[in-house]
Amino acid sequence: MNTPPASTDDHHEPGHYEIRIKGYLDNRWTEWFDGLTITLEDNGETRLTGTVVDQAALHGLLKKVRDLGMELLSVNRIESGQPDFPDDKF
Amino acid sequence: MISPILATKLYIPPPRNKVVIRRRLIDRLIEGLPGKLSLISAPAGFGKTTLVSEWVTDGNRPTAWLSLDEGDNDLTRFLTYCIAALQTISPNTGEGVLVALQSSQPPPTEVILTAFLNEIVTVPDDFLLVLDDYHLTDARPIDEALTFLLEHLPPRMHLVITTREDPNIPLSRLRSGRQLTELRVSDLRFTPGEASDFLNQVMGLNLSAEDVDTLEARTEGWIAGLQLAAISMHNHQDITAFIQAFAGDNHYIVDYLIEEVLERQPGSVRDFLLQTAILDRLNGSLCDAVTGQQEGNARLEALNRGNFFLIPLDNQRHWYRYHHLFAEVLRMHLMTEQPDQVAALHRRASAWYEQNDLVADAIRHALSAKDFERAARLVEMALPGLRRNRQEATMLGWLQALPDELVRYRPILSIHYAGALLQSGKLEGVEARLWDAERWLQPQADIGEMVVIDEEEFRGLAGSIAMYRAAIALISGNLSDTMKHARQVLDLAPEDDHLRRGAAAAFIGLVNWRYGELETAHQSYVECMAKLQRIGFISDAIGCSIALADLRIAQGRLREAMRTYERGLQLATQGASLLRGAADMHVGKSQLHYEHDDLNAATQHLLRSKELGDLASLPQNPYRWCVAMARIREAQGDLDSALDLLHEAEPLYASDFSPNVRPIPALKTRVWVAQERLGEALGWAREQGLSIKNDLSYLREFEHITLARVLLAQYKRERNGHSILDALGFLERLLKAAEEGGRTGSVIEILILLALAHQIQGDIPAALKALERALTLAEPEGYVRMFVDEGSPMASLLEKAMKHRIAPNYVRQLLAAFGKVEDGTPGDQSLIEPLSERELEVLRLLGTDLDGPDIARQLIVSLNTLRTHTKNIYTKLGVNNRRAAVRRAEELGLL
Repeated sequence: MNTPPASTDDHHEPGHYEIRIKGYLDNRWTEWFDGLTITLEDNGETRLTGTVVDQAALHGLLKKVRDLGMELLSVNRIESGQPDFPDDKF
Repeated sequence: MISPILATKLYIPPPRNKVVIRRRLIDRLIEGLPGKLSLISAPAGFGKTTLVSEWVTDGNRPTAWLSLDEGDNDLTRFLTYCIAALQTISPNTGEGVLVALQSSQPPPTEVILTAFLNEIVTVPDDFLLVLDDYHLTDARPIDEALTFLLEHLPPRMHLVITTREDPNIPLSRLRSGRQLTELRVSDLRFTPGEASDFLNQVMGLNLSAEDVDTLEARTEGWIAGLQLAAISMHNHQDITAFIQAFAGDNHYIVDYLIEEVLERQPGSVRDFLLQTAILDRLNGSLCDAVTGQQEGNARLEALNRGNFFLIPLDNQRHWYRYHHLFAEVLRMHLMTEQPDQVAALHRRASAWYEQNDLVADAIRHALSAKDFERAARLVEMALPGLRRNRQEATMLGWLQALPDELVRYRPILSIHYAGALLQSGKLEGVEARLWDAERWLQPQADIGEMVVIDEEEFRGLAGSIAMYRAAIALISGNLSDTMKHARQVLDLAPEDDHLRRGAAAAFIGLVNWRYGELETAHQSYVECMAKLQRIGFISDAIGCSIALADLRIAQGRLREAMRTYERGLQLATQGASLLRGAADMHVGKSQLHYEHDDLNAATQHLLRSKELGDLASLPQNPYRWCVAMARIREAQGDLDSALDLLHEAEPLYASDFSPNVRPIPALKTRVWVAQERLGEALGWAREQGLSIKNDLSYLREFEHITLARVLLAQYKRERNGHSILDALGFLERLLKAAEEGGRTGSVIEILILLALAHQIQGDIPAALKALERALTLAEPEGYVRMFVDEGSPMASLLEKAMKHRIAPNYVRQLLAAFGKVEDGTPGDQSLIEPLSERELEVLRLLGTDLDGPDIARQLIVSLNTLRTHTKNIYTKLGVNNRRAAVRRAEELGLL
């Protein structure tokens, strides 16, 4: 018998994610990407960060990246408690 | 019709007059033609569709083209479109499959796909099927269907898929089997040479090699990027400055360039582009409706001339679409620049589609507008058509897209929701939806204002609720509730509501059948069949014939059963294409011919049934076929094959809620008895908890009669006086029950066993008395095998009956039938031990080029059984190999 996982790390729960793509996106794309925060990095990459309600929503976002022909660099889940931005940005 | 076939989805987009000829890629595609699949998998904007259209337009291979969209996630719709695409190159191909797809009882997917493959074989030439934009489907059943097709792909067909993500099919297996040609992003991006050709020749710019290199580097050969850049440059004074700025910018290319392009358009063009970007397909009239402007046609033509990512969808330049990538970015601009407009635009599109009877699109736009009232109204109107066309997946999708609160105020939506859930096997949610619908039927209810568009459906609501409840009760095995709700349907549904009243009659028939009330059950099925026929559910009506005939056979009315099958066959074959159930009728007729001892006709009907195939079969037919064939094999003395067939039948049983009155283990036991495998037969009785002390019920009657046979066999071996008395007492009880239930078929069999039991005891007068009763009942219906299958003890008893002048004509006929079996084996073989009929059949196949497994398949036996046969043949012929056997057989004139 499986015991239910004790951790709160459940893929049915909302989570904070960071999606990195190549090239800059203007802020006006915010709504297109369901309200994720758009941050432009010095190296020509764009970071999309924010809360994603579940895995289905995450896949929906990745599909949008795909349909725009953008180059996807990475997708990361940001552990809760960890700040959205590195401290030195503040 | 809800979703008419859109010709635009089948249209091969013609290459533009001026394109970059991509010889290197086309050559690779041509080289890959002997394989099964060409996969062009790359992100948006790499010219996938253009490449394939260029290839197939220039090539000389007929091409069936299908542009996919999200709606094709419904497997029924996907297959319907695949066939429509095939019909563009081979008219009428797949008509039978289309009929099956739309029937009220569609066959399992694998049957449909097999039939589809068989149809493909009839296409005269080598051809291509192109599935464009495969990434837009996102459903496991579609991937599975495609995998099945690829595994069994006929050599004449080659599949081409364009997609933005690799499809979920076993690509590595295809790759390692050298069946796959892949073009990926590294292949598709423009080389510097191609970029130069494109910019200077196709787009008519006059760029220096340096500028071309800069653009190629900035876009990394991304064609959509280069094309957008070219459009931008058309209106620029200082092209080099533009290129410098573009190259030095870090923005997402499309974002940067579309900004450039849009900025340079007059306000009216800009608005037109943004506002029409919500449309999947565009035509002048639809654009006018959405923008509230005129001259939509002229604008579309102008955009097409200006290379504005507009793709024509037909020959008349009537329908277009934007390149998906371009449309996405335009939609984003619309959302940020005119956010208040978006819903209104969708609403106008929805209205246009509604006026033009394209309901599915009207619903899609109403949902996008979040105008749920409108969507709900449209869905309600579309539901009966969806139900007819078996598009449950689409139906559920729409209902789930509507807010629950709104569905609950619409009883018609609620009841269809329940029906769609039930059809998809999701039983848990059904009762809640039925409640939602039912509360509007209570007059005192103070729960707000209900909304009903389809008044006709509302009149049938109470009946529908009861009908679904009866179905749930039946699935959960609750017969009394099934009966209760079915009766409610008859009380509630109007006289002319044939669908619901027919379903209720079927439920009542089923319950009565299980209770052993055969005559009442028969009446219900007659009623059900008539109603189903009236509303055109012909396959279901044919299904009723099987129940009707089974009931008549149990009642010992063989001639009526035969007429029922004949009527069913007539129904199945009267239309343009054969209906499901035709094959089942042949199996039924075979069983009756068997009983009349016409083994030849019985075999012919089984072969005919096999020929008609699974597409002409209801779900239970493969099972019934094996059981019928097993009896024929048994009569031919080939007991091993009979057991093989019964073994094969077992997993094929498909519960259709009809009672399983002749279970396979009992049928096998009867063969074991004939093989004198008494231990196994007794083991069966123990396992099934069978004993002469059991209460009797119709559902176990066949097993009980089988038990009596086992006991008689046991007595013959052990001669224990006690067991024969037990068997006799048990048979008397069974006889009484069968007579009371009007089951004459069983009565005859039980009387025969009683007669044989008395004969074993040496009580001939009692034996003849029982036999006489059996003969009297059996003669008018022409039973033969029932007697002959009992073998020599029955033959000797019949001889005695002859002496006593009991039913002399009939008995003479039966005795002749015994003789015929002996005549069946050629007498003059000059062999010590003659070959059996079955062995002769095997011998004939040994004389062909077929190998062992093929022969086994043809005879429908296992390889082991075949080996036993060949060994016996070799022994009897005195040889030790196949060639010698054939030679010896020829010498003896056996072949």
